[in-house]
Amino acid sequence: MPSSSPPNLTMASVYKSVSKTGAKPPSPDEPDKKNKQRVLVLTSRGVTYRHRHLLNDLVAMLPHSRKDAKLDTKSKLYHLNEIADLYNCNNILFFEARKRQDLYVWLSKAPNGPCVKMHLQNLHTMEELHFTGNALKGSRPLLSFDARFDATPAMQLIKEMLHHTFGVPKGARKSKPFTDHVISFTIADGKIWFRNYQISEAEVAKSVDPDAPKSKAVETELSLVEIGPRFVMTPIVILEGSFGGPVIYENKEFVSPNALRAEIRNRKAQKYHARTQEKTKREVKMKALGIEEGREKGELDDDVLFT
Amino acid sequence: MGKSKLKSALLQHQGRDPIREKQKKLSRRQPKSLCRRGGNGEKEEEEGEEEGGNVVPELVDIVTLASEGMLKSAMETEEKHTESDPEEEEVQDSNSANRGEEVEEVEEIESDSDIPLSDVSASDLDSDTDHPPHQKLTTNNTLALTASLARISLPRTLLFSETLLVTTPEPTAILDIHDDLARELTFYKQALSAANEGRDKILAEGGQFSRPVDYFAEMLKDDEHMGKIRQKLLDEAAGTRAAQEARKQRDLKKFGKKVQVARLQERERGKREMLERVKVLKRKRQGAETETATETDMFDVALEEAVKGRRGDSRDGISHKRQKKDQKYGFGGKKRFAKSTDAKSSGDLSGFSSKKNRAQFTGVKKRKPAMRPGKSKRAGGGGGRMR
Repeated sequence: MPSSSPPNLTMASVYKSVSKTGAKPPSPDEPDKKNKQRVLVLTSRGVTYRHRHLLNDLVAMLPHSRKDAKLDTKSKLYHLNEIADLYNCNNILFFEARKRQDLYVWLSKAPNGPCVKMHLQNLHTMEELHFTGNALKGSRPLLSFDARFDATPAMQLIKEMLHHTFGVPKGARKSKPFTDHVISFTIADGKIWFRNYQISEAEVAKSVDPDAPKSKAVETELSLVEIGPRFVMTPIVILEGSFGGPVIYENKEFVSPNALRAEIRNRKAQKYHARTQEKTKREVKMKALGIEEGREKGELDDDVLFT
Repeated sequence: MGKSKLKSALLQHQGRDPIREKQKKLSRRQPKSLCRRGGNGEKEEEEGEEEGGNVVPELVDIVTLASEGMLKSAMETEEKHTESDPEEEEVQDSNSANRGEEVEEVEEIESDSDIPLSDVSASDLDSDTDHPPHQKLTTNNTLALTASLARISLPRTLLFSETLLVTTPEPTAILDIHDDLARELTFYKQALSAANEGRDKILAEGGQFSRPVDYFAEMLKDDEHMGKIRQKLLDEAAGTRAAQEARKQRDLKKFGKKVQVARLQERERGKREMLERVKVLKRKRQGAETETATETDMFDVALEEAVKGRRGDSRDGISHKRQKKDQKYGFGGKKRFAKSTDAKSSGDLSGFSSKKNRAQFTGVKKRKPAMRPGKSKRAGGGGGRMR
């Protein structure tokens, strides 16, 4: 039985399935036992080179992904569903750049949702990091999740979507049958931290055991070498539909980078404001007392009288 | 407010202020009505979805009913003015207890803590009710979230080799998020445990885990990139080695300077000792015995005296003084033009030293005038003279 059954079956495949059913009745949950994922990966306009490099890194890591041209619009994101449909993708990983500095990540299950919007920061691409780790292109990663992902329903949902997006399904095109890297997601400080490690195996010094040579596999000890990239994501909002629908989760702790920058600017401006205010206050006070600052000294001034 | 005198007298007797009580009740009632508003909004939102739609409106109805019931009871108490405050509290409690059986989501809607700041008027903030001010209204629709999760989640029966998903048994604990080393170590440990667990599970299912040695394929980082990384590592190593070398050189230089200074001091001391010895010698020649001089000094001086005496005492019975005087004032021979130059003397360059000539013009090293020796030296040296 073919692993993927397209909706419009050709005659040959119909015949094949019919003849197979005759031989062996397939269990009804047979097609469910497959993990079929395809990810559409693209960015909005206005990404910087680092954002682009991160995208390239991720595309290299995800053989089940389809990279598309930059999306022109930032407001009509629901068009992404059509693009995903065009490429037979059921996941969308969309990078939205704002003001050429802030990067937002949308993870979506096309076409019916849900979708998650996250703010991506502390971004370091593979090239910048100079890590010595390396892995096969297209090998399937082990996905390591923090147990905190199971604590709240929102995080459970995010975990599932991260799993669909970053987990390479078995038998994906160009995927390799070996596992040589781990992608770990950890929740700390209300953020999701992404790390990618190579699994390096080193043979352990053999213990003098009489039944050791029986086992064919050599005992190896695992250690990790980081590959990169690194980034941190803060969940902002979860929508029920794909790029639309009601808001079912909103992170109230998230402060938008715009607000943060404004706050910093205001704090700086406050200094000047306080100074000018103090100055005018003093001027008013002097005027009220009838003292002019630039006035010539008269005969009866203290400075003249008691020299 | 047309109140009977009897009633007001009663109130006065009980020591209660009806106006204040009314204000209190109003302020207490306001958040509830706000909640009701929020609840209705939620209801509209919920109706949009498939699963949670038929559950939530019912709950909201209960809420509205309950709050209305509370309103009624509050009004009753207001009219009667006989029930005291604690009793009203009890009414509230019983209401909330009834509602406590419902889903927690309703409680979230109900809870007074999540009221947008804009909806709370200033009078509310001024009164005795205290709300923690929240800027944002938290949305955390548990029902919808779980429904969405159920819709997209993969079947639990999938083999491990299909999902390759590992969850840590316990949540990771990072004490200080800004401690880079500890944080990265936590991540590393998490990933390592996942790798070990994953390997065991894959091998248990009979899958392949490690790549054979002779299996070559395109890598995530190409050779050029890896070369760059190697170059970077080499550069770093070279840099650290160079820095170490430089530090060693610097230390050596410092040490060398110390040695040089020590040598100079040694030379200086030798010179001073020499001068002192000469001084002592002179004094001896003058016949002044020094009591301070030690035996060795005396021995030395005697030796030198012997050496000097033989050389400078007198030549052919002529005293040194006479010799000098003869040289100065003349004794025998022609005196005239003795000091004037002639062809031979002007051609004589034996006294010329180019080094000295140069030193004269550059004039870089001017000799310091000899310092007056310290008091202890003077006291030590001139002990004999003082007496």
